[in-house]
Amino acid sequence: MDLDAAAPDINVEAEARLIPRYYCAVLRTVLSNALRLELGTIYADVGRGKCDGARYVTEVLRHELSVPVIETENADMERRGNSVCVSSLPLVEKFEKIVESVKLPEGVRGDFSSSRPRCGFWGVPPRDFGLLELFPAETHVFGWTRCMENKTPADTRLELEFDPAIPTVFFAQSFCAKNSIAYYLAHLHPRGFYVDGDFDISASTRAKVEAFLELNGVTRGQQT
Amino acid sequence: MILGDFGTSYTKLLDTDSAAGPKVMRTAELGLGVRADVGTGHNARLRSSVVVNELVALATGARRRIAARDFLVLDCGSRDVKFVAFENAKFKRAGWNSECGSSMGFSIELLEMHFKLDYKSLAVPEEHLAVACGVLGISAVFDAVARGEEVGGAVARFVKGIAMNAHRFAGCPAEIYLCGGLCENPLFVRSVPAAVTTLGRFLLLDGLLEIAGSGAWPRLTDRKPC
Repeated sequence: MDLDAAAPDINVEAEARLIPRYYCAVLRTVLSNALRLELGTIYADVGRGKCDGARYVTEVLRHELSVPVIETENADMERRGNSVCVSSLPLVEKFEKIVESVKLPEGVRGDFSSSRPRCGFWGVPPRDFGLLELFPAETHVFGWTRCMENKTPADTRLELEFDPAIPTVFFAQSFCAKNSIAYYLAHLHPRGFYVDGDFDISASTRAKVEAFLELNGVTRGQQT
Repeated sequence: MILGDFGTSYTKLLDTDSAAGPKVMRTAELGLGVRADVGTGHNARLRSSVVVNELVALATGARRRIAARDFLVLDCGSRDVKFVAFENAKFKRAGWNSECGSSMGFSIELLEMHFKLDYKSLAVPEEHLAVACGVLGISAVFDAVARGEEVGGAVARFVKGIAMNAHRFAGCPAEIYLCGGLCENPLFVRSVPAAVTTLGRFLLLDGLLEIAGSGAWPRLTDRKPC
């Protein structure tokens, strides 16, 4: 199983004794899942495709658990394609398929018709998929999520790509090092908008994204 | 058609079929049956058939009133502070501080009533209180008074601290269009470290008027009812 996803009935707050509250929500989820679920072995990607946080949380797990914790690195650079990222599937469904594909050696299988993009979403899968519900289906996915679909999580060149022709939200999980590059790329993009989000997307972040999409004519409403 | 800006402390209503202008009333005293056809603001979901995003209402109202192609409009209300910036007539950025900047306007009004002050008569001080938010700032005022500082001076430093925060939150622009209830507080307006043009407290209603009347949203019934 992928420990990034919140398992049912796991209380992340219960592990606050081991990990700061003001920390990456995804890694807090990983830690909580790993401590509460009955696991045989944990494989942790601690390479360039992940982050220092993952490396240190792996150390915590090694100390706290009796099961083997095996460090690994995924340095694959052979891109498998990203038909889901540019498909016409609703954005939530795109992310669900890509996140699920972590467990599939060959990645996502299927015939997905591509869409003409109206906007872009750059970044990692947010802890709260509610953010994704604000976007139309014709949203193309960029950033590390596109690397995920390609099975090349350390492919920084691919991660930095965006489409300057479409208004794009640049997202990073709160307290993640990717915030700096998300912020900077939003600055470079002619119509880029940076937001971050913790466990739940706040009402003000939701309103800002809604307004960004409306004021750029992406969703129904005002035209610029 | 009734348009409503349902703020935390004050509600602003406009009947588009009436020649009378917008009305302002305390939200706490609003009758249960008061509703709007199109609404915005913190309490809009409870009282409106159609809810418009506050930042969209703000941006639309600002573009209706401001001729410049590059501008930043900052809305300082009771509970929160929000801004929208346009560059070359295109949306550039927005911010909405509904949590950390909470209760700025509310606390300014609270101190005015508590100490029976008149903000028209208070001068802008040189120094400001370093206040993280309205609620924590009130403690700083009480501490200053307990240290022997004159009440009016301490509150004026608090108001200037709030104005500095709001200005910094908006990205420290040299020129700023200001709207919301704090437009009517002369001490606050003079405390903002920028060239300020006030647009009054009905700018969001202006936005609703544009949105409801322009046909930009084909039919109001298409909007998601609350």
